[in-house]
Amino acid sequence: MSTAIERSGQMGIPQGTEQAHTLVVLINDRTGAVDRVIGLLRRRRANTQTIILGRSTQPEMVRLTVVVDDAQVSIDQLAEQLRKIIDVVQVTNLAAHDAVTRELALVKINATGPQIQEILEHGQRFSAHIVDVSPETVTLEITGSTHAIEQLLEQVTPYGVREIARSGSIALARGNK
Amino acid sequence: MASHMHTHDTGRLTGATTHPIQRRYPIEDLPPAGGLFLFFNFLEDSAIMAIAAKFMQQGADTTAQATQESEQHIERELTGSAILCEALIREGVELLFGYPGGAIMPFYDALTSYPALHHVLVRHEQAAAHAADGYSRATSKAGVCVATSGPCATNLVTGLATAFMDSIPLVAITGQVASHFIGRDAFQETDVIGVTQPITKHNFLVRSAAEVADVVHEAFRVALSGRPGPVLIDIPKDVLIGKANYRPSATLTSAEQMSATQPAVLSEYVVAQAAQLIAQAQRPLILAGHGIILGNAYDELRAFAEKTSIPVVTTLLGLSAFSDTHPLHIGMPGMHGPAHVNRAIGDSDLIIGVGMRFDDRVTGKVTGFAPNAKIIHIDIDPSEMHKVKIATLPIVSDAKVALAALTEAVAINNSHAWLGEIRSWETETRERQENIKHDEEYPNPTSILNAIYNATDGDAIIVSDVGQNQMWTARFYQWTRQNSHITSGGLGTMGFALPAAMGVKMGVPDAPVWAIAGDGGIQMNIQELATLRQEGVAVKVAIMNNGYLGMVRQWQQFFHSRNYSETPMTGPDYTLLAAAYGLTGIRVTRRDEVEGAVKRAMETEGTVILDFVIEAEANVYPMVAPGSAITSMIEETESV
Repeated sequence: MSTAIERSGQMGIPQGTEQAHTLVVLINDRTGAVDRVIGLLRRRRANTQTIILGRSTQPEMVRLTVVVDDAQVSIDQLAEQLRKIIDVVQVTNLAAHDAVTRELALVKINATGPQIQEILEHGQRFSAHIVDVSPETVTLEITGSTHAIEQLLEQVTPYGVREIARSGSIALARGNK
Repeated sequence: MASHMHTHDTGRLTGATTHPIQRRYPIEDLPPAGGLFLFFNFLEDSAIMAIAAKFMQQGADTTAQATQESEQHIERELTGSAILCEALIREGVELLFGYPGGAIMPFYDALTSYPALHHVLVRHEQAAAHAADGYSRATSKAGVCVATSGPCATNLVTGLATAFMDSIPLVAITGQVASHFIGRDAFQETDVIGVTQPITKHNFLVRSAAEVADVVHEAFRVALSGRPGPVLIDIPKDVLIGKANYRPSATLTSAEQMSATQPAVLSEYVVAQAAQLIAQAQRPLILAGHGIILGNAYDELRAFAEKTSIPVVTTLLGLSAFSDTHPLHIGMPGMHGPAHVNRAIGDSDLIIGVGMRFDDRVTGKVTGFAPNAKIIHIDIDPSEMHKVKIATLPIVSDAKVALAALTEAVAINNSHAWLGEIRSWETETRERQENIKHDEEYPNPTSILNAIYNATDGDAIIVSDVGQNQMWTARFYQWTRQNSHITSGGLGTMGFALPAAMGVKMGVPDAPVWAIAGDGGIQMNIQELATLRQEGVAVKVAIMNNGYLGMVRQWQQFFHSRNYSETPMTGPDYTLLAAAYGLTGIRVTRRDEVEGAVKRAMETEGTVILDFVIEAEANVYPMVAPGSAITSMIEETESV
């Protein structure tokens, strides 16, 4: 999904060093604040994979979780750009091993008769469960890491996946961090 | 507080002990003039009258002052427009550049009640933003521009983008359609918050009259603090009309807010690291940028350079941060920098970049820029670190603070053999250039710029436009007055010079101000001649008129086989044009007339346009082709 971006500067960064980074951005809920953050991601050519907006514990703030694929030095640069936005209160770059990351997916799969049982069994291995059944389809709900979701998708693809709705990742730092 | 002082003194003068009023009413609740009224009540004895009269005179003076002070604590019900005016005055604003219209009309209605605010009616909103920008660059204060909603607000966009790229503190105030119309495609409605988001440091939509004062003071703080930048305040018409209780002292002004924050101190570790890198370097260079001027770090830069004897390069926006005549100054880097400067960067083993951002016009091809150098990068904006070049030692700091700390930490070095080497390259180039024969008949950029320097004893502030005129001015004027070079560096906005020069002159009325433009750029905001005339502001305008969009033509000559596509252009007769605006215009066609014409312009009252007819195909040399390393330059030869 991610392709290396050729940048105007920083040409010294070796190709292939990009990896997924999860940025958690706390934003004051004021007119235009969220647009500014999203606009900056576009303007600074962040290789954005997913964006999730939700409420935080503070009523005046929203919590934006962005997954960006890029080299470390570019991510640090991006985080500093985000910190410059007046309404951005905090930017945290959660490293994969230090955070719990989860994504929700709904997957509508072609299934009739005995296939339903097979799909259910595939799903159980990922703690997914069936949330809807029709004469021709079954819909699975799965919550897990992006990697787990992709594994499940691989297993059910042979049945014919009609539609997928994925939430994008949210994350929390582990322990007291 | 003042009224308290007065009643107290009055009591002593008349021998009265305590006046009943003093006991019955808390002093703070008295109207501002209360002190004087009380005073009159006590005057019975004529012998005391004489003393009292003198006292009253003094009292009246201090009362005016004190009234202002006590008013800070009084709450009054005012319209949003009036609160806006009051808050601007508390911010120290004296000058606004703007243009009235539908949504902003309540503000213009209030404005006539505040004579402390001098509003300059520009002829196009773009000029309002550029004038406020010029004013800010020359005075270090925030510039203010005003426009109404819709097309007028969008006309500010180029000016805001110009200020944003060059880190200029501006506060733009725009009227907006009434709150209940927003999002309904109302007449003259534009989503100004959305439109200006990428080109402002921050913007606000004001929701109620009660919010106005807070937003104004926050806007000035944001504009002026850290890395400065433009801020826009969008105010719906109903908010301007609506009323709220206003007590000035309820909100701190930007200056009060900023004085509460402690200036950051550099860590000893970082300073020691920098000192070590500097001590190890054999071929170090300082690259001084706009941050020196914005951070008022002139003295610190000079002290640092002199203690270490490190040669100083000034970027386009760093010109006039360090005197051209200083023995350590070697010139401007990049696309049109002289060969010896770019060669020095190529050979350097340590670049100390201060308040600069390694713009592509400075670096050329990034991998070819200072390939042998370690980099100490000092900038107040953390997001500039590693943006273009990976810094060996990033230092996020105000230039003034960082340079002072480094100066203290570094060892004295009396000379670098390296400087001699750079000077020898400079001499080589000069000797090569001297052999090239030029047409001596036409006025040329050097003769024009020298004449201006001589006629003003180097005291002029020069505002250049964009293109060849800008590069000639940058290269061939002698920058000896601090902060005398003003130009649109980052955005490269044609049409900047004339309105910006107006703002500069109004900010620094005692300095001679020259706008230098090409025959293309001058026509982009030529309408401001009317504003200059109406305000009686004297800007001297030098047009380098070659009948082409010169810089584009030069690129066409070098890179497009002289295919002069849409670059030849005609213009008006500037002497007639000047006369039409009630100004003076002089056409200069011969080299030997240049000096006399410049002198005449200086002696003539008001704005004067000098139309210098220069060689049509003159080029800016040397030049680095875009995308090339800065060490490979196109130099002037006989045969080009």
